[in-house]
Amino acid sequence: MVNSIKPKTAANSGLVNCRVCHQLAPITTTHCQRCSTALSSRVKNSVQISLSLLVTSILLYIPANIYPIMSTELLGKTTESTIIGGIILFLEHGSYFIAVVILIASVIVPIAKMFALAWLCYCATRADDIKQYELTKLYRVTEFIGKWSMVDVFVVSILVALIQLGEIMSIKVGFAATAFAAVVIMTMISAHQFDTRILWDKVD
Amino acid sequence: MNKAQLHLHACLECDLLIDMPDVISHRTNVHCPRCNHSIAMGHNNAKQYVLAMSFTALILMVIACTFSFISFSSNEQIRTINLLQTFTELYTQEYYFVAVLVFSFILLLPTLYLTSVCLIILSTYRNFEILPSVWLGKLMSHILPWSMAEVFLIGVLVALIKMTSMADISLESSFWAYVIFAPLFTHIVSVIDSHRLWDWIEQARASPHG
Repeated sequence: MVNSIKPKTAANSGLVNCRVCHQLAPITTTHCQRCSTALSSRVKNSVQISLSLLVTSILLYIPANIYPIMSTELLGKTTESTIIGGIILFLEHGSYFIAVVILIASVIVPIAKMFALAWLCYCATRADDIKQYELTKLYRVTEFIGKWSMVDVFVVSILVALIQLGEIMSIKVGFAATAFAAVVIMTMISAHQFDTRILWDKVD
Repeated sequence: MNKAQLHLHACLECDLLIDMPDVISHRTNVHCPRCNHSIAMGHNNAKQYVLAMSFTALILMVIACTFSFISFSSNEQIRTINLLQTFTELYTQEYYFVAVLVFSFILLLPTLYLTSVCLIILSTYRNFEILPSVWLGKLMSHILPWSMAEVFLIGVLVALIKMTSMADISLESSFWAYVIFAPLFTHIVSVIDSHRLWDWIEQARASPHG
């Protein structure tokens, strides 16, 4: 994807693209004529907003791992389990499949996403030549995997709803579920706020 | 807005200007030549197809909400839940934030998305708009990233695998409705590209109000 001639973009043709309805308007327009969304050529302070949300999600990831995500009450005995603790428990019980699913969804995906966003923000602010095409691909993957981290929260919500047999066996939610859901939301908004067009602006 | 600009499209991810072809042949994608971002997908009768599929999905959603979801029996005790209890139970345990999130992600937002697309398509046929199409289009573009029907389905499957070792599980009609709903919803979303959606909204607005 090497462009020898200067590519014609909306920004250097005096146009601005609406992020919601994708209609082009002259660059001086403040609001989209079709859907009345506020227009700006690039998302303002995109890197700063992404980074701040990223830091928030990293901080929230700490309580998500320290506090129990659910507590199981079995014949009057209560056991609390954290995310990592749950994975280890599954491995000990030999349910490798669930262990791998939970490991991917609640540990690998969020951490990979945080690293990817941090790398994207770093590349966007760095002045050297960057690989736009690969970074855009990385961004697409980051955006796609974002919501899949919610699997763990959904699993807990189903278990909590279903396993309510009073004294015999019941499951309660833990604070980590709230923290973890917040982590997912923060990383999703962070990815959404990142404007890949600032990577491509460096070609021009 | 002059004529030439109507067929121009700026890539959302790299801002490159692209001349949109007038006709996109069935099931071919238009990609951005620079960053390969998928811009539009051709479909011969997208309008009827999406309308039919969305109605199907909405009916499935009604079934999923009215019948029981999964039942669980252990030591001669049986507990049956419906889909709504996956978040109402969180609510009773005072985890309001998570309860609202689960409710929105698996139920409210997918339903709103489908209802909006149905209303937009219907207002291109008839001479009335029940709700302003532009407003619905904006709503759809904002709720799309937050619809997690397929993620919830995987969550259900993981929970089921986990519970089969502990007790007897039986799957009820609502479960099967959701199993069909989630992939169908993903399919509908893949057919509605924003280029086509805003074409429909333009058509809906152009039709005389009466």
